[in-house]
Amino acid sequence: MVTTAGIDMGIQTVKIVILKDGEVVARAKAFSGFEPTKAAEQAYAEALSAAKISSEEVSNVSATGSGMDMAPYASGTVSMMGADAKAGVFLFPSARTVIDVGAEEARAVKCDERGIMMDFVVNERCAAGAGAFIEAMARALEVKMEDMGPLSLKAKRASPINATCVIFGESDVVSLIHRQESKPEIARAVFDAMADRISSMVHRLGINPDVVLVGGVAKDVGFIESLKRKLGLTILVPEHPEYAGALGASLTAASRVKGDHK
Amino acid sequence: MKSQTAEKKYLPEMPQKEIDEANASVKSTSEKIMVDNIERMKKTDPNRPAAMKYFDDISNFFGQRKEEIEAEKAKGRKVIGYFCIFAPIELILAADAIPVRVNSGWYDTSKFGDRVVPVEVCPVIRSTIGAKMIGLSPYLELSDAVISTLTCDGMTKLSEILSDATQIWTMTPPRVKDSAQSLHLWKEEIKSIKTQIEKLTGNKITAKKLKAAIETMQKATKAFRRLQELRKGNPVIMGRDAMLVNQMSLWDDITRWIQKTEALCDELEKRAAQKAWACPPDTPRVIVTGTPMFWPDNWKLPSLVEEATPQGVLVGDELCSGDRILYDPVGIDEWTMDDMINGIAERYLMASTCPCFTSQDGNEDRINWLITKVKENNANGVIYYVVRGCMLYAMEYARVKRALDKLSIPVYYLDTEYTREDVGQMKTRVEAFLEMLSARVDF
Repeated sequence: MVTTAGIDMGIQTVKIVILKDGEVVARAKAFSGFEPTKAAEQAYAEALSAAKISSEEVSNVSATGSGMDMAPYASGTVSMMGADAKAGVFLFPSARTVIDVGAEEARAVKCDERGIMMDFVVNERCAAGAGAFIEAMARALEVKMEDMGPLSLKAKRASPINATCVIFGESDVVSLIHRQESKPEIARAVFDAMADRISSMVHRLGINPDVVLVGGVAKDVGFIESLKRKLGLTILVPEHPEYAGALGASLTAASRVKGDHK
Repeated sequence: MKSQTAEKKYLPEMPQKEIDEANASVKSTSEKIMVDNIERMKKTDPNRPAAMKYFDDISNFFGQRKEEIEAEKAKGRKVIGYFCIFAPIELILAADAIPVRVNSGWYDTSKFGDRVVPVEVCPVIRSTIGAKMIGLSPYLELSDAVISTLTCDGMTKLSEILSDATQIWTMTPPRVKDSAQSLHLWKEEIKSIKTQIEKLTGNKITAKKLKAAIETMQKATKAFRRLQELRKGNPVIMGRDAMLVNQMSLWDDITRWIQKTEALCDELEKRAAQKAWACPPDTPRVIVTGTPMFWPDNWKLPSLVEEATPQGVLVGDELCSGDRILYDPVGIDEWTMDDMINGIAERYLMASTCPCFTSQDGNEDRINWLITKVKENNANGVIYYVVRGCMLYAMEYARVKRALDKLSIPVYYLDTEYTREDVGQMKTRVEAFLEMLSARVDF
């Protein structure tokens, strides 16, 4: 019996995944806020109680995410790209490219059948290709962020906007509003612009199918549709895409217990 | 000499008080950074070679070497600065002048350059303009003339901008190496620089003096190659230390640099015999290529690689601020003046792997050289380093990546700026790359 935990110290949320003999037995998350370590401790306690296990039963805890150095309990770390590769292939054994779109960063990782990363690319230092962009655009449109996706699916056509910068993107959205474009069309324009940037990034890396999409933004139907259109490919999306990083860290922890990972 | 009253075309007037304050503030930051960089290098390799002490001292921009050059200048010797490593060092030495490279590695001077050119321009250029505006770089300030090779767009306009404040001698390299006209044009450029050097120094470059200078530089190449050779096996020296030694050849008295580098190599050979490695032999081995990185501030990437978890070691580079500096000797058949000028022209043109060149095969020389380097130095991967605004290196990446992909050599494109603020993001990327290299090595 091997029980391991993975902690993903994301910029907006901390995620925990507990694995028991290769099965996910618990997930938990909390807002990172100003005290991400505390948030992780809370989420970890929650995950343990959901899994009905004590902390002593966990053989290894590994951390990932931009705040990985602040993770509590962790005895090791794994890069976010390494975690994506592991989780992608665990969730879909046919996965060879994993795209991860989080709150502030988008990345793509190529991997082999063992879930070992072979190459990766990260978006430019700009939030226009990441979740924060949707959040800002939803604010400009005065709709809830979670309504953006369903809204965009009602669009009858696409109207292009600029996604080189959140600030300029917002002013583009405002001018579309002034031109009396409908909200569904503007919502779709937002997702198309993001998908454009992300697909150029993935093309620079080269695409090996199957392609898996993970990260918090992978829950957004509007974005999934836009990205499918841009890439012209089927995209596999797991049930809990936002936990991919934590899952990858937990899988790394498991291979550390087995001794086949440094 | 340029008349002091000539109207400035680019550089804005700055009040002397502002110049003095800016100079003092950037200089004090820079002094701290130099000390910090060296401390970090010592920490990375606790058994750092004793011979490095000399290079640490010489690397202080405001220290011993600056004073030596000032003293030589007071005795009447001329100082000739240069930007690109196309400047024929042998001719400078033959005229008894002191060559110094003057590209700026200071982050904090780029904000002054921003008053002249937009932020989209390469930060090496912006920072060099800024360094001139506040008089920060001792070697640039001491230069009686600066040789500027018109390689990239940035260098071309930099020459024009700095003409406001310094005597600039331009050299135009051809964009294609392998044609008869190219070599002819370049040879004429070399001859014209020779005349200018003679005029400035008042010293005639005789065949005898030129032969002596070529022989000195051949010795420098020998010492330089010996150091690079030692980096091919298990790590006897950390990459940052070797990079520092390489760069000091740009400023130091070359004869003394040769002695000190040979002494370092003796020590490294002993280390290898005792199997006293600078880091564990299974540390992922990295080669860097791309935009040049200059001491002292722009030590960001090498520090990240060698201080990362998992740790990496730089076993070589394909940089004009590194392993390219002295690698190629001037080849001479007969020691006639004409033959020597030919040899110099060929060495500085044909051996260059600068991305300013193209041909029907593209910049094949650079790719071949990089691949040879990866193989000979047993590198596990390549970091392709580009500062934003450095168009030629950025554009050549796609081609280099394709060539490396074919050989299954992992490569990562890392772009950055002359700033300390992106260290966190760079660290994430560098560590992921090193983690990938270790995983690929393990299996």
